[in-house]
Amino acid sequence: MRQIWNFLQDERRVLPAVLAVLSTGAVTVALLALREHFDLAILVLAYMLPVGLSAFLWGFGPGMAASLASFLLLNYYFIPPYGSLMIHQSQHILVLVSFLVLTISISQLVGRMRDSLETARRRENETKRLYDLSLDLSGSLIEHGILNTLARHTFETFQADLVEILLETDSQPEMVSWPVEAGCASPPVALASLQGSQGLLGEIRLWRGEESLNPAESRLLQLFASQGVLALERTRLSSAATRARILEESDQMKSALLSSVSHELRTPLATIKASVTSLRDDSFTWDAAARTDLLAVIEEETDLLNQLVGNLLNMSRIQAGALQLEREWNDLHEVIEPALRHARAASPSHHFEMDIPDDLPLIFMDYTLMEQVFNNLFSNSIKYSPPGSTIRMRAFLVNGIVQAQVINQGPPVSEQNLERIFEKFHRVTAAEKITGTGLGLSICKGIIEAHQGHIWAENLPEGFTIMFTLPIEAEGALPDLPTL
Amino acid sequence: MTIQPHILVIDDEPQILRALRTILSARQFRVSTASTAAEGLALAAAGQPDLIILDLSLPDMDGIQVCGHLRAWTQTPIIVLSVRDAERDKVAALDRGADDFLTKPFGIDELLARIRVALRHATQTPAPHKTVVTAGPLRIDLAGFTVKRGDEEIKLTATEFKLLAYLAANAGRVLTHRSILTHVWDPADADHVEYLRVFIRQLRKKLEDSPEEPKYLLSEPGIGYRFIADD
Repeated sequence: MRQIWNFLQDERRVLPAVLAVLSTGAVTVALLALREHFDLAILVLAYMLPVGLSAFLWGFGPGMAASLASFLLLNYYFIPPYGSLMIHQSQHILVLVSFLVLTISISQLVGRMRDSLETARRRENETKRLYDLSLDLSGSLIEHGILNTLARHTFETFQADLVEILLETDSQPEMVSWPVEAGCASPPVALASLQGSQGLLGEIRLWRGEESLNPAESRLLQLFASQGVLALERTRLSSAATRARILEESDQMKSALLSSVSHELRTPLATIKASVTSLRDDSFTWDAAARTDLLAVIEEETDLLNQLVGNLLNMSRIQAGALQLEREWNDLHEVIEPALRHARAASPSHHFEMDIPDDLPLIFMDYTLMEQVFNNLFSNSIKYSPPGSTIRMRAFLVNGIVQAQVINQGPPVSEQNLERIFEKFHRVTAAEKITGTGLGLSICKGIIEAHQGHIWAENLPEGFTIMFTLPIEAEGALPDLPTL
Repeated sequence: MTIQPHILVIDDEPQILRALRTILSARQFRVSTASTAAEGLALAAAGQPDLIILDLSLPDMDGIQVCGHLRAWTQTPIIVLSVRDAERDKVAALDRGADDFLTKPFGIDELLARIRVALRHATQTPAPHKTVVTAGPLRIDLAGFTVKRGDEEIKLTATEFKLLAYLAANAGRVLTHRSILTHVWDPADADHVEYLRVFIRQLRKKLEDSPEEPKYLLSEPGIGYRFIADD
């Protein structure tokens, strides 16, 4: 009883039936006026119209309603005796029974046709929705993006009030809702679990007034969920693969680093050891000049070791993404000065020239790291350019960006190596001839890029240059300078 | 014959202790050593050293904290030792009362220069300060507010002179950015390193023979500035 009541409560079902009955009423009113002029056959045919139309527009149920109503109305108003349901002539019984059977059959046929048309249309719509979803999902490579896309599509397709997706992750569960920031206290009307191949990944929760999903919609929601799972698992697989590749690369890099480093560390150590043991040897007396010379060698090699260790430390920080910049307003002149002093001491045979305008603005940079950039650039220039040649340092301001360059008169670098010289362990010349870890330029690159600058190399008509840019602004602001 | 100054070295590296003991003893210093902060603090109290060399990374206590503990009861000069890339720690130690710093590895000439400056400033504290500081051709008269190169007077603005005077009065010692800014400008300006950069550049242009390679106004990267005067 309650079911029937509920059924009737549903206006979407009752309203078409009422309309179907009303349409037969309308036909009756129209025909009543002309009752005397028409043959019964025409009247019967005229009643077929609302039945067929109702079945076509609203389906089998309303068609049946129209059919029954027509049967009764036809009998009451048009079969003598008029105004009663009594039938006296057997041929009239035959007509009415045939009418009923025929209209019910029509309702059924037309209704079924209409249903299958509807199903086809709905299927087409579902397919289109699914297609759109999978297209959008394939564009997302991060989990958060996938969850957002899935939530938005679910929201639109099911005309929901709110969609939430909960995803279990290794660390803490992630929750995405659409519309963003909305929340709902009542329990969701529908749930679909995101069932992955390795276990439950999470679930979709859907709120939509009081109305629950019909079976077709539930099925579609499940399909959405499985599309989401596919996309999530694909991302997880690919990020796992990327992680594995990075680990492998960093492993290779570590072993290359270790072999390069142990070689580089041993060279100065060998020199130091040889010099010190010579000086300690009691069986031989060194003259003052030789003594001074050996001691100078020891000091130089110690400084080299110190610089090497500094480079290694910074490299490992850059590599680990743990380079902490301590940026302050700095004067480029001040930063270059100690690097220049080291360079002059390291190679008295090179000429050094500075060309930095007096009014170059202050730059928001990490002093120690930028000093290391210049140390590396100078030491590179010393290594690759002939003794007696000139090493020039220039800096100038272009469009709010400082461009700096170190120019040497060394040999040109082949086109394909211009970019590769910034890679780790890359050395243009044969390793035996030039000492160094091959880390210097890649550290410069790491440091410059951490300052939002760019670094590149160029061949010049009479030499080679490394250039880099640095923004002078700090988060869009310039220094607040005192008036002089 | 003066009394040999007593130096206390606190460092957890036995090889550093061994080397410093040998080198400093050879230079006529009395040396005592400690390898932990606790031992160092006890020795500082018992031995009344004239100078303390303190490594910032000790096993039992943060070197910066040790500075604080020492400064609670003594003005004995402290020179802190630390590795490169630990600028923040050095500045913290200097702000906690350390007198100077050295970055490992360091040359002994540098260490001896720091010790000399620190001992001089320590003995001067009760006596009146020198009012004229000379550095090469420069002659800075702190009381007369004049700076001369040879016989030629160099014109400085009031702020430039205040900055130079502060550095020169502390000749040989490192002064942190914060301490200079607080002293020359205002405690409210303690973070405006950019002021300092601009004025140092101005001063270098006026005082140095070659502003690109200063000899008197030296930068201590990430820490501060140091004025080098004649001994």
